[in-house]
Amino acid sequence: MSRRFTVIGENVHTSRIVLRKGKRFAIHGGVEGVKFVSVDGSPGFLVISETMRASQAYDEGRIKHIALAVDTAMGGGDGAQAGYEYLRRVVVDQEQTGAHYLDVNVDEISLKLVEQRKAMEWLVGYVRSLTTLPISVDSSDITVIETGLAVATGTGDGRPMLNSASLERAEAVELAVEYGARVIVTAAGAAGMPSDAAERIDNASRMVEAALRVGIAMEDIFVDPLVFPISVDGAFGLHTLDAIREIRRRFGPEIHITGGMSNVSFGIPARRLMNTVFINLAVEAGADSGIIDPVMNPLSAVFAADRDSEPYRIAEDVLLGRDEHCMNYIRAWRKGALNP
Amino acid sequence: MAQLSDIANEFIRDEIEEFLERPEEIERNLALFSRVSPAMQDIAAALIDGDDVTVDRLTRKALDGGVGALEIMDDGLIAGMGIVGIKFREGYVFVPEVLVSARAMKAGMAHIEPILAASGVEPIGTVIMGTVQGDLHDIGKNLCIMMLRGGGFTVIDLGVNTSPAEFVAAVEEHSAHLIGMSALLTTTMPNMAKTVEAFKDAGIRESVRFMVGGAPVTPEFGKDVGADGYGKDALACVELAKKLAVEVN
Repeated sequence: MSRRFTVIGENVHTSRIVLRKGKRFAIHGGVEGVKFVSVDGSPGFLVISETMRASQAYDEGRIKHIALAVDTAMGGGDGAQAGYEYLRRVVVDQEQTGAHYLDVNVDEISLKLVEQRKAMEWLVGYVRSLTTLPISVDSSDITVIETGLAVATGTGDGRPMLNSASLERAEAVELAVEYGARVIVTAAGAAGMPSDAAERIDNASRMVEAALRVGIAMEDIFVDPLVFPISVDGAFGLHTLDAIREIRRRFGPEIHITGGMSNVSFGIPARRLMNTVFINLAVEAGADSGIIDPVMNPLSAVFAADRDSEPYRIAEDVLLGRDEHCMNYIRAWRKGALNP
Repeated sequence: MAQLSDIANEFIRDEIEEFLERPEEIERNLALFSRVSPAMQDIAAALIDGDDVTVDRLTRKALDGGVGALEIMDDGLIAGMGIVGIKFREGYVFVPEVLVSARAMKAGMAHIEPILAASGVEPIGTVIMGTVQGDLHDIGKNLCIMMLRGGGFTVIDLGVNTSPAEFVAAVEEHSAHLIGMSALLTTTMPNMAKTVEAFKDAGIRESVRFMVGGAPVTPEFGKDVGADGYGKDALACVELAKKLAVEVN
């Protein structure tokens, strides 16, 4: 690997779930909660709130653990400490497994923007007290991003990331200038998602130009060409990879190319393997960054993957559009042939 | 109570034995498949297996042999998809396999639909689908559309960034009674409520049923905005559409 690969750790995100049937769920003295080990090594237990227990998502077995931890910590009182410790663990894990940025997203904390802004301000402040890593402020709402940037701004390498600007809200690049932030620009269109590589290239190029126009340096721009699930359409892998190649060719070595790499494996088994292979293919095409979970996919393991192994080649066939409907891949998984 | 041995098709027997766990679902499928003819069991088996060529051939053969179109749809195609839905919910099969079964369903429905239309049988329903205003995400919505079409619904796809007025206009233009709204962002979810309000303002709220879905959407949120149901994935969407279609037909 010639250039540094920038990991934008994606796990400080309120949509993240653990499963009730998973090994992290436990009942202590009749109280349901999520087990964890605090950074100091002591056992922790994040109690599941009444509100969460009443939700159908919980009933169906899904626990939004990051949202729960933020709610618990922000709620104050006796139980708050578990929330603080839980989040500290998540942040430390992301840092120790190689994150260069921590992506912070509170979209699912509440539907009310005022609550989202409050949570973003609080969470960015708390994360900054735990780590010197810069923060990638991630929201679908620009006012929430601005709230986060206002408290995420540091100096030097502490410059935050704005996640993200796209044609739908191109003016977000100005916010990046105002707060001295780097910026992720995506290939989303003004009126819809791109349907092929050409639209990705066109949309992303217009955003890169918009960023350059307001004075953002090439090396402060991260292009996200958008990664879609390969389970839905076998051509989705090549759409992204072809776009990466052309964006690299068009804008040269200084621009960064990233993407939500784990989106690619939604809806299929052995996600870690599929993510690993996709990150490698993206890097070969010219990407030098990923919005990934480094706990699941640490870079050392990603780049050490044996490209001649059978699991690697089977996953690669899927991503290059050579395994229609992932049939061979899923068959291999059922036979246990995808295990490392 | 029906027994496994009452079912002629070995593939169907294995599916029920291997993948069904909930007693009420075992009982329902045993009763269903022991009632339907071996030819319909074969169609259901091919559909579960994702074999569109065989579903196409067997559907044609059954029609030529005098089996009614409705019987093939209910006892072959929909019965098979019911098993696929359970396997998906329980994590035995994955998104691509569900799509392959949906493609097989479509192959069968291609023979069934013209016959139903010609004999004056209404399609099971028309669904207006769209991602709500301000939201450009459509992968989940498109999965729902594929599954709804596979399930026999006529679907009008309004695409992404659909305003409340566009939903109202589409319902009036197509005389539809079912509306599916999708959102992937918490910031656009409130536009589901605005769409329901627009139908109230237009005086046609009572004649339609709203379905909502999308990653951050919850059943509780659906109730809050006045929707009639929530589906957590594309198969749940089809189940919900069938249930709501009965209310408005």
